[in-house]
Amino acid sequence: MNTTDTTVAPPAPKSRASASGLWTRLALVAAACVAAGFTPGLLPNLFYVHIANLTLISGIFALSLWIIYSVGQLSLCHAAFAGLGAYCSALLSLRLGVPPALSLVIAGLFTATMAALLGAVILRLRGVYFVLVTFLFGQMFTLLALNWQDVTNGANGLISIAPIKLLGISFGPRSMFFYLAFAMFMATLLFTWALSRSTFGRAFNSIEQNIDLAESCGIDTARFQVIAFAIGSGIAGVGGALIAHYIRYISPDTFTFHNSVAYITMLVVGGRSIFWGAVVGAAFLTPLPEFLRDFEGLQHIIYGAIMVLVLRTLPGGLISIPSTLRRLTGGGK
Amino acid sequence: MDMMTLLIQAGVNGLVIGTMYALMAIGFTLVFGIMRVVNFAHGEFYMIGSFIAFFTYAQWQLPFVVTILAAVLLVGVVGALVEWALIRPLRGDELTGMIATLGISVVIQNTALMYFGASPRPMPDVISGLVRVGPAVFSWSRIFVIIAAALVIGAFWLFMQKSRTGRAMRAVAQDREAALIQGIDVEKIFPLAFGISVALAAVAGAMMAPVFSVSPFVGVTPMLKAFIVVILGGLGSIPGAVLGGLLLGMIESFGATLLGAMVADMLQLALVIAILLVRPSGLMGRKEA
Repeated sequence: MNTTDTTVAPPAPKSRASASGLWTRLALVAAACVAAGFTPGLLPNLFYVHIANLTLISGIFALSLWIIYSVGQLSLCHAAFAGLGAYCSALLSLRLGVPPALSLVIAGLFTATMAALLGAVILRLRGVYFVLVTFLFGQMFTLLALNWQDVTNGANGLISIAPIKLLGISFGPRSMFFYLAFAMFMATLLFTWALSRSTFGRAFNSIEQNIDLAESCGIDTARFQVIAFAIGSGIAGVGGALIAHYIRYISPDTFTFHNSVAYITMLVVGGRSIFWGAVVGAAFLTPLPEFLRDFEGLQHIIYGAIMVLVLRTLPGGLISIPSTLRRLTGGGK
Repeated sequence: MDMMTLLIQAGVNGLVIGTMYALMAIGFTLVFGIMRVVNFAHGEFYMIGSFIAFFTYAQWQLPFVVTILAAVLLVGVVGALVEWALIRPLRGDELTGMIATLGISVVIQNTALMYFGASPRPMPDVISGLVRVGPAVFSWSRIFVIIAAALVIGAFWLFMQKSRTGRAMRAVAQDREAALIQGIDVEKIFPLAFGISVALAAVAGAMMAPVFSVSPFVGVTPMLKAFIVVILGGLGSIPGAVLGGLLLGMIESFGATLLGAMVADMLQLALVIAILLVRPSGLMGRKEA
């Protein structure tokens, strides 16, 4: 695994560069918050607001997948956990009349619990074997969602799911939902950031670098991997629930293998070494198919080609462009 | 008598899909054993094979032997090129190589979708007519698939066991560096193995085209099954792939006859997950260092 030499890399917590980098990044986050306040008003029409909303939710998925990736495991059932959260929250609000704001939280906790139970069993598999077993779980979820007619309504999916209401404000309209999605995205981002700087983050990182060495240094690798898997999948569950209450319709097609692949693509294209890569990847890839709409039919091909091309030419992802440029021009270290 | 007939039919159907799964899984496991790459695009080469069969056999009315040869050569060469151009540079890391094949799969599938459209096309049988064995009735086309697949698997087995190249491939799969020291040109083995692997998938696609139909999405299910089979048989093990393929075909066929297709599907996945957990290296795989 390559670790790009970025300023917030854990090994040098006290260096001046790291501290100034931290402030720059905090300033960027603050600027993003201010900019977000005006965004829905500035975008030319609701379609763009919709794209912005989807991008923010993709960002949540990519970040949560990164948390799992940061312990060196690649999950191919991330969309299944998103789906689990979505169905859980939608069913709670449809069948039991639970307010969506509450069912969202329950969905997150439920998904995290399921992931912890599953993770405790499957996380002892490593590398390709883990990828394969998560792939199979994703398939099982799709099959279950399709065939458990009584609960999931099969291929028809669940319709007219209630929008989220909080303190009397409905987040149903696209431009209102933007603020909610942005808040959730920021919460995820700051959480991931804090996590990666905490002792947990250091432990995760050491497991990713060399699991055997980490184990022999006294890090309970199994426990940390389960924690990372549960946190990442739980956040994905909340993200899925957000989609359910935003689009207000879910079906087994909303959360397929291809969605899991799309999240992985975001990580790869953005850059896997640090969580900012996930944000960059989501921000770059989610709107991309919409802008490629003029090339009807070609958009998915371009999507796949970009993925292969980035792997081929920029193994560190888009986030490594500045350091690559610096190296090329000879100005770097 | 009814039950008996049903079971015999299920057995033959199980053999048909089982040999097809075995063909898919052999190629898949070959690439993993030699290159340590999980090829998510494997099913797309099956799809290309079935489209080649559709055009050469159903549209241009060429003999079926020509169809198979065309599928093997065309897909084999394309596969070797794909390996050389796209996968070679990423071989260092298992996950990166795997993600690249995901991208390749998306590109191939959507290209086919753009040119051929999504609607499935039916294809005529290669051999018509029925055979009666006691109370059971089979169509010759099914028997044909079983025999042809068995021949291809046999030929592949001989190639791997007896030919110099086949032995070199096995050597690389066992220990890349030791093979290199023995003077095996590993850089030539990789594209060759990938080409052979996807050519086998194309043969499976061409032979199954009359049984299922032909569309850009036909490769998805066989690839899923190949996944399951190699986990069952052990990643990298060729005998494991054959055994696992036949076993899965039988489980699927009898399961669907006795319990219904949905339950059979879920059972399969549960079985594989259980095997992965108890014996991660599969039924016939060897332990990894």
